[in-house]
Amino acid sequence: MEKHMAVCPYCGTGCKLNLLVEGGKVVGAEPLNGVTNEGELCLKGYFGYDFINDTKILTPRLRNPMLRRSRDAAFEAVSWDEAIQYAAKKLSEIKAKYGPDSIMTTGSSRGTGNETNYVMQKFTRAVLGTNNVDNCARVCHGPSVAGLQVTLGNGAMSNSIPEIEHTKCVLVFGYNVADSHPVIAKRIIKAKERGAKIIVCDPRKIETARLADLWLPLNNGSNMALVNAFANVLINEGLYDKEYVANHTEGFDEYRKIVDKYTPEYAEAITGLPAEDIREAMRIYAAAPSATILWGMGVTQWGQGVDVVKGLSGLALLTGNLGRPNVGVGPVRGQNNVQGSCDMGVLPTEFPGYQKVTDPEIREKFAKAWGVPSLPDQIGYRLTDVPHLAETGKLKAMYVMGEDPAQTEPDLTQVRKGFEAMEFVIVQDIFMTKTAMFADLILPATSWGEHEGVFSAADRSFQRFTKAVDAKGDVKHDWEIISLLATAMGYPMHYDNTREIWDELRELCPIFYGVTYEKMEGLGAVPWPCRDLDSAGSKYLYEGNVFQRPGGKGLLFATEWRPPRDQLTEEFPLILCTVREVGHYSCRSMTGNCAALQTLADEPGYVTINPKDAKALGIRDQELVWVSSRRGKVISRASVTDRTNKGAVYMTYQWWIGACNELTIHAVDPIAKTPEYKYAAVRVEAIADQVWAENYVQQEYAKLKGGLSNAVTGATNKAPAYA
Amino acid sequence: MNRFVTANPSKCIGCRTCEVACALAHSDGAGVEGLGPESFKPRIRMVKTADVSTAVMCHHCEDAPCVNSCPNNAIVYRQHSVQVEQERCLGCKNCVLACPFGVMDVVTVPAVRQFAVMTLSLGVKAQAHKCDLCIGRDAGPACVSVCPTNALTLMDRDAMDETLRRRRERAALEAAEVAA
Ligand code: SF4
Ligand code: SF4
Ligand code: SF4
Repeated sequence: MEKHMAVCPYCGTGCKLNLLVEGGKVVGAEPLNGVTNEGELCLKGYFGYDFINDTKILTPRLRNPMLRRSRDAAFEAVSWDEAIQYAAKKLSEIKAKYGPDSIMTTGSSRGTGNETNYVMQKFTRAVLGTNNVDNCARVCHGPSVAGLQVTLGNGAMSNSIPEIEHTKCVLVFGYNVADSHPVIAKRIIKAKERGAKIIVCDPRKIETARLADLWLPLNNGSNMALVNAFANVLINEGLYDKEYVANHTEGFDEYRKIVDKYTPEYAEAITGLPAEDIREAMRIYAAAPSATILWGMGVTQWGQGVDVVKGLSGLALLTGNLGRPNVGVGPVRGQNNVQGSCDMGVLPTEFPGYQKVTDPEIREKFAKAWGVPSLPDQIGYRLTDVPHLAETGKLKAMYVMGEDPAQTEPDLTQVRKGFEAMEFVIVQDIFMTKTAMFADLILPATSWGEHEGVFSAADRSFQRFTKAVDAKGDVKHDWEIISLLATAMGYPMHYDNTREIWDELRELCPIFYGVTYEKMEGLGAVPWPCRDLDSAGSKYLYEGNVFQRPGGKGLLFATEWRPPRDQLTEEFPLILCTVREVGHYSCRSMTGNCAALQTLADEPGYVTINPKDAKALGIRDQELVWVSSRRGKVISRASVTDRTNKGAVYMTYQWWIGACNELTIHAVDPIAKTPEYKYAAVRVEAIADQVWAENYVQQEYAKLKGGLSNAVTGATNKAPAYA
Repeated sequence: MNRFVTANPSKCIGCRTCEVACALAHSDGAGVEGLGPESFKPRIRMVKTADVSTAVMCHHCEDAPCVNSCPNNAIVYRQHSVQVEQERCLGCKNCVLACPFGVMDVVTVPAVRQFAVMTLSLGVKAQAHKCDLCIGRDAGPACVSVCPTNALTLMDRDAMDETLRRRRERAALEAAEVAA
């Protein structure tokens, strides 16, 4: 049996593991003693590898480039040569006719790695000539980056994952750590065993709430009010660190004025929490010699996500919980490499290494390195703008790599219309996905396990992963495909391996310069900033309390609470909040093809509902129900549980039949443009004929699966030469 | 003393990794791709209520109700554990009802007979189905080794003695505090 070192492709924890290979096939995974996982893996890490082997449980792996010459034609398998020429011609035509800004690309925060993301943004900027490149951080931690960049100067977790275990207080806000990052959950459990106090703010009784010293089940949509009330208590009870605030922060007076109104009693009406609990939480937080705030999608996927992020960083600033070990602010990244795609500049605002596209000197540096006369100076489009831009004719072509927006974006009807309105869509992926069904050209790439590269863990650590097996079929590495396309468009681009790409980007990004492949050998993890070849990187940021802002001080920022956008009415009386579950990842194209994970949870997925609400609606546990909103209607299975708060229902977002994003609203944060996935007004209805409903689910599921699979097999059969 | 696996509810996060590991450890080498809704029969189950998440499995009782209830002596004490001799199991379900923890089940599996060159199907065979402590697995209980939060522990005499020693120490300290 061979063993190949890898980094788990399922979340930002960055667990190191060995893939066990027998006869060219991955047959198992075993944990390694990586810096962040220390010999542990979770469900997905242990049992989430068999998708590589093309199990076809959900969707087939892509094996050949596939082209469809008109939207009503079927896909046909074509040679790489034809595929690349076709794409180059189409993109060049569209660029000539409508200008470079009519084209948009995406990076991928998933298994492809940092090098590919670097190459994609280089292609977009240097070859297409636009900053229209974005990644799915937009729909998750975009607000964390936007908010923290303003208040502290850096959008990432301030401290490392292993430090969580040594903090004396963990404030968990809108973050279901057990389902999102089980291996980080262990750190919290260990912290508690070492005497740390745990405070959990979440409307649901999540696993961490069970072990919390204090659980604050706030009303859905009241985050900002609670955070402001926290600040109010810290200031009015004199719990804040006056010296720290005086020396290392600015904006205190303005801040104080806004939070002044948010007394715990005032917040009680909005949050539904007893004023005394709000006080108690801050007394615990302020008394701890070291305290860490961790948050997730419960903070960011709101119309007011950026503000709440700024507010949370304010709590850390007020109490001096930054700039040293075992403290800090932690937006814990969901997808395994969403930190990486931001690091690599697949953002409409920044080059790799967080260097602004609006800075002429920076542009000059990149233009010179890439051998082009100039680079675009206008900030590009965001992913969430796409449907609207396509429908209004501003966006004509899209090159989607390793993402499935037709599953993961809000208000899917809108998204589909957007894709249909575009003239040319390329999808580059490892699986046939719902998005790929809208493509004109499908480019098949190698999967995690079939290539090597570097990922960024949630705590900024760069780690290498290696190749375990050879890819089957006529597929290429993502970065190779992009290079071929660039070359065909008249910009010669060629790399022999990922290391060559890595070394090119290191030279261009001062904060990554010291992170060499050698340092990341084996179990090596190097957290950026790492500016020198002899530095081991920075486990925590803001050493000496110097913030990465002009003047070096942290900004205290507060703003008024705004109620959520969607309106509850008699017709739509319940709040729908979209969440995730431990066994499935993202759009499920990977985990849905893993036998064990699919066995634990399959279509149509669950809508969890409080027993009181269920009773009033005549719904019993495990029954199929209709869930509808102003935007759509889907079928789902009821899970009646006390852990769900009254008045709200929760659905996970990876299902096709129970696709909650048919229901969600396209109301985005004004700054980060992250959608309000956490609040849509819905109605849940019982279905009298359960037998009919069960059959309906099976039929629809089979139809969808069949459609995707036929698209691939049909194309492959037609042109056996490439099969 | 019989060995057994115990779960700590204050560490369990309800992730079901143990269930999959258990099913895999008993898949006769079929590997994860052999798992499916029908074949998924873990001997450990994660239970989630409003206030608790934890895993439950066989206690390998010293005076086991399942052993006592079996009319055909199919359940025996072996290697410091309670084991089922599957050839003797009738599928009568006495043990299922006798077990106070709800961790014994009767399942049916395809019954086959192997001859030199052929496999003969004999319909189905009933099996009393519960945790066998992964007996015969070199690395020990599979569930214990995968649990990401270390909520599961294999209790043998030594581990039990150590736990008891620590509890007595704590009791002594508490008593001293009360006296002081
Ligand atoms: S693996 Fe551990 S944490 Fe997960 S359900 Fe089992 S006992 Fe609980
Ligand atoms: S099956 Fe039940 S009764 Fe039998 S040993 Fe296990 S726990 Fe005890
Ligand atoms: S010890 Fe083995 S048989 Fe028993 S529950 Fe754990 S994995 Fe299953």
